Amino acid sequence: MTMTPTTTDAPPPASAPAPPHAASARPKRSRRRTPMTWLRGGGLWNLAFLAPMLIVFGVFSWWPIARAFVMSFQETNLVSPPTWVWFDNFARVLSDPNLGTAVLNTAYFAALALVFGFPLPIIMAVLMSEVRRGKGLYSALAYLPVVVPPVVAVLLWKVFYNASPDGVFNTVLGWVGIPPQPWLQSSATAMPSLVIEATWAAAGGSIIIYLAALIAVPPELYDAAEVDGAGIWRKIWHVTLPQLRGILFIMLILQIIGTAQVFLEPYLFTGGGPNNATLTVLLLIYRYAFQNSLGGDYGEATALSLMLAIFLGILSWLYFKLTDRWSTN
Amino acid sequence: MKSRRTVAIAGIAALAMVGALAACSDAGGSDDGKLELRVATFPPGAEQAAYDAFAEQEKQFEKANPDIDIVGVEYEWTAPTFAAQLAGGSLPDVFTVPFTDTKTLLENGQLMDVTDDIDELGYADKFNPIILDEVTGSDGNVYGFPRQAYANGLHYNRDLFEQAGLDPDQPPTTWDEVRAAAKTIAEKTGKAGYATMASGNTGGWQLSVQADSRGASLQTDNGDGTYTSTIDNDATKATLQYLHDLRWEDDSMGATFDLDWGSINQEFAAGNIGMYTSGSDVYTALVRDFGMPSDQYGLTVIPVEDSGGVLGGGDIAVMPPTLDDETKAAAVKWIDWYYMQKLLNEDAAVADAKALSASDQPVGTPVLPVLDKETYLESQKWIEPYVNVPLDQMTGFTDGIFDQTPVGEFKGQTQPIYALMDNLVQAVLTDENADIDALLAQVDVDAQALLDQ
Amino acid sequence: MTTAPSAGPATTPVSTSLRAKLAGVTRRRAERDAAEDAADRSILSGHDRRRRGVRASMSGVHVFLFVGLVIAGLGPLLWLAKAAVTPTQDTLSQPFALWPNGIDWANLEQAWNDVHIDQYFLNTLYVAAGSWFFQLLVATTAGYALSVLRPRYAPILNGLVLATLFIPAVVLLVPLYLTILHVPVIDVSLLNSYWAVWLPAAANAFNILLVKRFFDSLPREVFEAARTDGAGPFRVFWSIVLPMSKPILGVVSVFAVIAAWKDFLWPLLVLPDPAVQPLSVRLPAVQSQTELDVFLAALAISTIIPVVLFLIFQRLFLRGAGLGGAVKG
Repeated sequence: MTMTPTTTDAPPPASAPAPPHAASARPKRSRRRTPMTWLRGGGLWNLAFLAPMLIVFGVFSWWPIARAFVMSFQETNLVSPPTWVWFDNFARVLSDPNLGTAVLNTAYFAALALVFGFPLPIIMAVLMSEVRRGKGLYSALAYLPVVVPPVVAVLLWKVFYNASPDGVFNTVLGWVGIPPQPWLQSSATAMPSLVIEATWAAAGGSIIIYLAALIAVPPELYDAAEVDGAGIWRKIWHVTLPQLRGILFIMLILQIIGTAQVFLEPYLFTGGGPNNATLTVLLLIYRYAFQNSLGGDYGEATALSLMLAIFLGILSWLYFKLTDRWSTN
Repeated sequence: MKSRRTVAIAGIAALAMVGALAACSDAGGSDDGKLELRVATFPPGAEQAAYDAFAEQEKQFEKANPDIDIVGVEYEWTAPTFAAQLAGGSLPDVFTVPFTDTKTLLENGQLMDVTDDIDELGYADKFNPIILDEVTGSDGNVYGFPRQAYANGLHYNRDLFEQAGLDPDQPPTTWDEVRAAAKTIAEKTGKAGYATMASGNTGGWQLSVQADSRGASLQTDNGDGTYTSTIDNDATKATLQYLHDLRWEDDSMGATFDLDWGSINQEFAAGNIGMYTSGSDVYTALVRDFGMPSDQYGLTVIPVEDSGGVLGGGDIAVMPPTLDDETKAAAVKWIDWYYMQKLLNEDAAVADAKALSASDQPVGTPVLPVLDKETYLESQKWIEPYVNVPLDQMTGFTDGIFDQTPVGEFKGQTQPIYALMDNLVQAVLTDENADIDALLAQVDVDAQALLDQ
Repeated sequence: MTTAPSAGPATTPVSTSLRAKLAGVTRRRAERDAAEDAADRSILSGHDRRRRGVRASMSGVHVFLFVGLVIAGLGPLLWLAKAAVTPTQDTLSQPFALWPNGIDWANLEQAWNDVHIDQYFLNTLYVAAGSWFFQLLVATTAGYALSVLRPRYAPILNGLVLATLFIPAVVLLVPLYLTILHVPVIDVSLLNSYWAVWLPAAANAFNILLVKRFFDSLPREVFEAARTDGAGPFRVFWSIVLPMSKPILGVVSVFAVIAAWKDFLWPLLVLPDPAVQPLSVRLPAVQSQTELDVFLAALAISTIIPVVLFLIFQRLFLRGAGLGGAVKG
């Protein structure tokens, strides 16, 4: 099995989803359309092949998307019929003191994830691309955490984060003379603890991507730089990093989009605590909709989802603008 | 090579797929003409012995009611899954809900009206009126069978008491004594001397237990369907300050501050916690589901100060309002047989106790009477020969509980306000400089906002 | 997971074009590998590598990579393997001691039998197998209809499918959940049924895009020839298009199975009945009722399967990581 389209029958790489008019290349038909010609032209077959998609997308994608817009303007608890409340849901979400907390926490998570998680894979990948032997072993070791199911990883790290002096991490800290840390048990250290685990879990994937990008740097550029008398650091600065610029940017935006929707770690590690120190936007949406034992506030939840979606949409748009420029360069 | 591997993977997946579809199509109803009744059993992780005892009772019931097929369904009241199951209509036909949610559920029309059935069964007037009130709607109808009630108690580990040089037969009787004992345990054993739940709404629950014992009243029922939040009072403040001091001045609360009902039981059963407050009936779960050695267990009443009361609670057996008449009749039969008769009828009580003790399940865990006190005391006598819980380690509770003033949980937005109060507990336990006054004032405002919705 | 809500940003258009770009990158790499394997070089030139300082540094890099990756990548898993057969008290009081009081093999047996890992493992398999099947079914039929059959209205449908790529998964969380509770038209609840996981997973626009692109690149002449030989649309699909599409089907399959294996939030919401829950949902639920040593044994068993699969299909995973790993923020 080929994982990536490396063979000659692979689809052409493209920088953006195919424009909807891509199909206009089909041969023009000028027959007059009647039900009979439709049938003879394979209209039924077309429908038969489209049916799975139409059903699945209709019910589980298009319909819920439409519903999201409607629901954000409604009040519904599933018991009584929904009532129109227009912008009340948005107003209530915006006046919820938890929203500010959640947005700040999410931004904090994203910022920490950038500091811990962004440079590390780049450095690792550059080092790994330079070694001649053991590259396969190193890649496998780096990727191993990615293979661990995320839920298992979080539950395991929860044990590592045991805050007693005999906890796993605290024992290690003890070896080097650092006093035991409270990890998840303190408002100050809970979020960094979440980020460390998330970085551990994700770094391997990024390393492999950077490795692929590093190999794709044309060696002639290095040769040329050497002719100009560039040393190792100048080669990294003037050749490697500029060549990686595009992929670095993609990874940056992807990471922001991912961290804006962080849920698993705060949900399983801390449930948003202590004292809402790890309450994130998605966790707040979850709480609105699913935490109240007596039926959730689905209107508030969808209203907040839409606001988050708009933010993510802006990021996506930004991404497209920038990558378009990158691919035309 | 590569494509062959693809084929192999595809083949395995296809086989699994066929299996999945087959499993799916098996999930139909019963085919022998019996009425299938899906009833709640135990929370996840219960021991095999509990299921064995249940199977025995299931057999007895099905023998007496050959047209009903009982299907036990694993069930636990936890906020997220309960909401999902309620909304999705996938709850069992018979399940239990805590008092705290009963009022809202029945006012929302989400519970079956069982007034006539209780009348027919003839024990409507036997219920403890305070408890019957928990399941009575504003229309005067009854929407469930109160099946068990508890008061909160102070649970302690006798082993840790002994290791710390304390007398396990003389448990502390004031909050100051609790603090001193906790400090001694922490110093002598390195374990948490005292712990309290802090997450999943249980932090708020236990905060109200401890505040009520100091005379707090967290909410005023205005009698017209509105409530006023009074969380910000001296007793709550004293409770939070007390927890703060145990955590930061005495360092006697260990290192874990995100415990909930399950994890605090787990830690206590594992011998890592000296004392904590929880429902008096938790002994059953401790030995059955969490593997606690029964000789280490001790139970006494919660210290009461400044005319405080002891917070109680309980749960009721209910049905969703969507059951058809036939299923409803079967469900009432099951509730009467499984939950109620053992409280009322000597034969049933003895049979139940026998079945439980035969599979080494706890018999005689202290509870509060759901029915009148006389019936309760009488029923305790019926099952005396089968009692296998160490009652002599619980005398602090059983001797003192009827002298304490019972208090119910506040009624308005109980669980959402508990969720707010979780943050208070988490704040004082995880932040040495937490500003208790400001936090309390804020929670009071937030709680009132919930109540005014 | 792509269309069903999950914390991952998989449905964003960003990841789509990223994957396309990476496909380009890996292709370039493949071409280069073939063409100039001998001239393979990176930042360091052959000359650099002969310098003494560089050589010493490279030894340092080797030691750093090896030690760092073994500790970070393998360490947690080795610890888990050790703890899985260690009594609780030893794990808690001396987390790094190797069996001071003997090995407790019974943990594994208890995890398998009492925690019912076997059953939840099977459930996980059902979830993954069904998601895989329906994703392939929808992607191939829709791709075929949109790329090969091309009815007049194909561009509109294509646009509607692509548009869903721009809607972040989080928007769907609540409305899709409510749709599962009451599926429109047939008016049933899919709660606690695997269909609730399979079908939303199949509404995956990225799969359709990927497959359609691939079909677009297949030579038209072959279809025309088959048609003139009298082959109907289904024969062309089954006997010509599918056999030619193994590479892309492999890619879609791996993505589908991995996503299903990892998904947490969506199955948590739609499979509240423990009897049908997959491992990812079940493990957190039983944590507080399970003794630590048995729980760690359960985590170890849940980890060993994907890790073994990874070690067997290592190359395949690592190559796919260039495409798939990017999705995990």
